[in-house]
Amino acid sequence: MTAAARPSKPAVVGEAAPPSPKAGAERAPPVLKFEQVGFSYDGRAIMRDVSFSVGPGEILALLGPSGCGKTTILNMVAGFLRPTEGVAVVDGREIVGPGPDRGVVFQAAALFDWMTVAENIAFSLRCAGAGKARRREVAEEMAALVGLSGFEDAFPYQLSGGMRQRVGLARVLAAGPKVMLMDEPFSALDVQTRETLQEEVLRIRDRTGCTILFVTHSIDEAAFLGDRIFLLNDLQSGAYDVYDVALPAPRPNPENRLHPSFLRLRETIYRRMRH
Amino acid sequence: MTRSEARRARLRYVLVATLSPLAILALWALVAWRGLASPIILPPPSAIWTSFLDMAANGYSGVPLWTHVAASLARVSVAYVAGAALGVALGLLRGRSALIDAVLLAPSELLRPIPPLGLIPLFILWFGVGETSKVLLIFLSVLLIMMVNAQAGVRAASLDSLRAAQSMGANRWQVFRFVVLPSALPQIMTGLRVAMGTALTILVASELLGGDRGLGFLILDASSFFRTTYVFAGVALIGLIGLATDRGLAWAGRRIVHWEGRR
Ligand SMILES: Nc1ncnc2c1ncn2[C@@H]1O[C@H](COP(=O)(O)OP(=O)(O)O)[C@@H](O)[C@H]1O
Ligand SMILES: [Mg+2]
Repeated sequence: MTAAARPSKPAVVGEAAPPSPKAGAERAPPVLKFEQVGFSYDGRAIMRDVSFSVGPGEILALLGPSGCGKTTILNMVAGFLRPTEGVAVVDGREIVGPGPDRGVVFQAAALFDWMTVAENIAFSLRCAGAGKARRREVAEEMAALVGLSGFEDAFPYQLSGGMRQRVGLARVLAAGPKVMLMDEPFSALDVQTRETLQEEVLRIRDRTGCTILFVTHSIDEAAFLGDRIFLLNDLQSGAYDVYDVALPAPRPNPENRLHPSFLRLRETIYRRMRH
Repeated sequence: MTRSEARRARLRYVLVATLSPLAILALWALVAWRGLASPIILPPPSAIWTSFLDMAANGYSGVPLWTHVAASLARVSVAYVAGAALGVALGLLRGRSALIDAVLLAPSELLRPIPPLGLIPLFILWFGVGETSKVLLIFLSVLLIMMVNAQAGVRAASLDSLRAAQSMGANRWQVFRFVVLPSALPQIMTGLRVAMGTALTILVASELLGGDRGLGFLILDASSFFRTTYVFAGVALIGLIGLATDRGLAWAGRRIVHWEGRR
């Protein structure tokens, strides 16, 4: 746990299981840091005094009831909103606006329906002035990375919900972000697609070393793909619970859903949320 | 829906859309044939066809029929293209810039409720009864319609898609070019169809201003001499032009905004 975290209760630390592959991450300088961040909508405080930091390559799962401020946190990291108090820092620099170093995967994908899959994926390169051949090359590479090879020339409306989210992932990855922000990206998908994509996220993290902030409603999802879980139960006073996930590497392993450590963590969080 | 079901549905649509005007024509012919209406008021379709053939062969008031058609088409297309281009540009600017919106708000909202025909006396005073008045009248109506539609279209861009673009490094111009403009296109295409209908209406009215050619002139002239069959033939020609342009625009719209309604 980082020094900046202010858990409301003693953290439930990982059990006697092999160390998390990212155990060393917290000692490296953090990629993302919140320092006593507060946010108010029109004078109404949503959160106050929130501090935490996230290490390189770490997946931080944000879990909490609807309306507690998860999306607001993500929007501040993305640069869509500015903290009304405190500072949010990425890579040592205060966040002042959106940028390609922080990619966002939206719940409804928010793809550009007028562009092909390849054009969607290569959008950041187009904005940066890359040539046609280079854009195609990266689009094909990223499509392969997320399992969309052969769909480069399809339009988003020709794809299933799961495939649309794969495009959303690929277009963020093409920008080579330091941090990926995912706001309940799989909550509208069927269970099977959701689980496959959760494994995909872990695989992508292993391959790219990207730091990920993952907002979810689902305890299972948080416990399966998070390295740490923040249970945001009282952001009004900046308090949250921290749980370390202790699952054996390699992480993208569906068997982990049956691992005793996974089952115990799920139960602990469930009981905690229930009162 | 399977492909063959979709094709059958499309075939049925075309069939009904063709049969319905034929049925009206048949009813009309029946009414005329039974002598239920005076031929001055409602001539039979066959008489209108004869008048049409007469005009096609011998022209009307010394001018070939196709010159009348061409004169009308030239007026409407110049005014339509110019009005749509400027209207879309101004509407997009108003949608993107509060300052420009504020500048244009009162002038355009004051003009909009005035029926264009109400402006005819003013236009005659300012620009005379020549081509300028006719074209400007159509131009203005198209411009106002397109400005409203383009501005509304700008608001169709979803917050998420705008944010997605920004977070992938798009600058203000790129957000506009790659997100705002495509999001506005469905509404712009709809506006283009509405504006074409209005443009043809104003065209006929504006040709009543005077001059010696154009379908509006032909209709007015024929009606003042009670040549009802020629009036009908002229009206039918304008109707056909309207139908053809509307179908053309609808077809182009389906190609250009192919993603619309498919999410
Ligand atoms: N644009 C807004 N204006 C005013 N209040 C808002 C706005 N967006 C969210 N809120 C409020 O802020 C709180 C946190 O919202 P949000 O971050 O979306 O929560 P979560 O994502 O955890 O469901 C909620 O109480 C919500 O009503
Ligand atoms: Mg939310």
